[in-house]
Amino acid sequence: MSHVLISNKRCTGCHMCELACSAWHEGAFRPSVARLRVEVDPNAGRSRGYTCLQAACKKCAAACPTGAITESGGVVRVDAALCDGCADRPDGPACVAACPTKVIALYPETHKAFKCDLCDGEPQCVLFCQNPEVAAVTLKEEQPHRMRVEAD
Amino acid sequence: MDFYTGKVLRIDLTAGTTRVEDLDADYARLYVGGKGLLFRYLWDEVAPGLDPLSPESPLILAPGVFAGTAVATCSRLGVGFKSPQTGTIMDTYVGGSFGAEMRFAGYDLIIVTGAAPAPTVINIRDDVVELRDAAKYWGMTTGDLEAALREDLGVQTKILSMGPAGETMIPWACISVDHFHKAGRGGGGAAMGSKNLKAIAVRGTGSISVGDAREFLADLHRMHGKYFLAPAHIWAWEEGTPVLVDVMNNGGTLPTYNFTTSGTDLAKGLNSESFLKIRQRKRACYQCVMACRNFHSVDGVEGEGPEYETIAICGPNCGIGDIAALVKYNAECDELGLDTVTTGVVTGLAMDLTERGVHDFGLRFGDIDAYLEVPKLIAARKGIGAELCEGSRAVATRYGEPGNAMQVKDLELPGYDARATFGMSLAYATSDRGGCHMRSYPAMDEITTGTLPPDSLEGKALYNIDGQNISSVRWTGVFCDFWFPSANEIAQVWRHLYRRKVADEEVLLVGERIWNLGRLFNVREGFTPADDSIPEFMLTRPLKGGVAAGKVITVERFKAALGEYYKLRGWDEQGVPSEAKLEDLGVDVRL
Repeated sequence: MSHVLISNKRCTGCHMCELACSAWHEGAFRPSVARLRVEVDPNAGRSRGYTCLQAACKKCAAACPTGAITESGGVVRVDAALCDGCADRPDGPACVAACPTKVIALYPETHKAFKCDLCDGEPQCVLFCQNPEVAAVTLKEEQPHRMRVEAD
Repeated sequence: MDFYTGKVLRIDLTAGTTRVEDLDADYARLYVGGKGLLFRYLWDEVAPGLDPLSPESPLILAPGVFAGTAVATCSRLGVGFKSPQTGTIMDTYVGGSFGAEMRFAGYDLIIVTGAAPAPTVINIRDDVVELRDAAKYWGMTTGDLEAALREDLGVQTKILSMGPAGETMIPWACISVDHFHKAGRGGGGAAMGSKNLKAIAVRGTGSISVGDAREFLADLHRMHGKYFLAPAHIWAWEEGTPVLVDVMNNGGTLPTYNFTTSGTDLAKGLNSESFLKIRQRKRACYQCVMACRNFHSVDGVEGEGPEYETIAICGPNCGIGDIAALVKYNAECDELGLDTVTTGVVTGLAMDLTERGVHDFGLRFGDIDAYLEVPKLIAARKGIGAELCEGSRAVATRYGEPGNAMQVKDLELPGYDARATFGMSLAYATSDRGGCHMRSYPAMDEITTGTLPPDSLEGKALYNIDGQNISSVRWTGVFCDFWFPSANEIAQVWRHLYRRKVADEEVLLVGERIWNLGRLFNVREGFTPADDSIPEFMLTRPLKGGVAAGKVITVERFKAALGEYYKLRGWDEQGVPSEAKLEDLGVDVRL
């Protein structure tokens, strides 16, 4: 039971995590659909990372009206066959509304929800935060009752 | 086409029109990306003798062929134009996130021509290109402008801009990306100013395909670990470029008191140890796992930098040893959009002329208050700035000392006095854009590693040629010098680009091809061997202090080395590439 976490304090703002994530899942570099997000404020020289807390959160799964989002083995996944993108919901997709970090979204071309799946065991974002002195993107063991996004 | 978007975005600011065309496949095959494509397109787009500040003069943005992929350091963006400062071909590079983002928006190149009738911001959202009125942004400094544009266009917007010095078309006004990253040299900001172009904003949501992405990722992870995050380069993480301050000062090459001495105590308060004390955190360019950048805070001034060249030229060279004053001067230049190297050299020259009673600029070495006023005065062309904005050659010549202008082809010299590293004299003289250390870098082995004698020009022609060839091909990536990949390391990455084994020689051939194309451009613009020189004072007068004190390069030795350089290059005595050489290299243009 684990999830990816980004230390805002350690992050240097290189976006390599988003690049590796998108290449792994998309077969091409496309960070706009990366399953995690780093926002950088160049003026302040600060980064803020957003990742999925998987089983420790599950708000998207609870909100999903079609049962397309489920957890198994600690990973929360979307079954694309069951996702209809909440096409009939006037307020937009329920999972996106429920997600506290906005790391679930509708895929631009298919309009189905997509999210972090921990790369089937070896998250590329962690692998490509490759400078051992930085190590801002890490795989954290879940800590019950302490579900929060790390902030400065 | 994997690795390429295959598209060129053309924007005509006079007509207010935009259009997308295919990237020329032959140019891509011969010149790859970045510097190579900049040079090839500039050859076509710049009519000989064109006024660099005329509407017809193009401003070209060319990220490398690996921008927006996970090849570390390759986010660097090449900016190309005919320089308003030097009149040469100009390619100047900037890190940060703009280059990758414009590729995600779908473009390998952006070519801007014309001049907008009123201040304009180009706003690119993938395939939607909008010309926005920029009246509200005009006059803004870099940080304020970026904050305002991100507020108006969204936090994920990447911004390339000019500052107030670009608006007044100071010949060395620079271009900024992500606030602190600068395409510093040659006056790209002035080129933007002449076009009434305050900024280009871009947001891209598309993709860069690379064939088998998972295989590519795995190989990159291996290469980063083996070649980049290696002991030879880890200084960039640990200290960054301030590490050079002690090395160069001890080597007697750190310019001091307007290039008259070196090795003084001024540098002691500006060395890496001093900067570590004011460092807040490390920052990185887009797609770089090293993070060489240092975010500093001192006396209420916060931001990235200064880097070594600025520390040297705006520090000891201006008689400044106070870290807070230097950081503030650097921040002034960054906010106004001024190249710190040229600004610092011009400031140092004015101090020198004042100290010796040649002309009173009211500016003395180490006078912090007066020093801190200079960038603003230059950007506004006011007071002494009205004269200093003409550059070091015009100022020194006016007061009867043309040999005291520390510039080559009107590009002021960076932080290496060639009297302590003779090879740098050839590097400066033969660089395609004038006084610059980023084309070949003998100081590396004449000072840092100490493996070559610093007071000899023997073998330095070939050393500079090798350096120029490989730097030219690195900047098709655009790889950063802080990786400094060998031809073999580049060949290993190119294996993915071309889906076949690539020989090291093939990599080097592309570099030499690009270098010769740049030479043809400058020859076409009328540059001759007389322009391939360095300041007379640097050739004939010894330094007063430091370990190289007393050493003289001499005109004779320099000229002999320059002749050797032309010969080894396969150029004639006028420095013109021979037909046989151009044929061998596959250069596809002729004078």
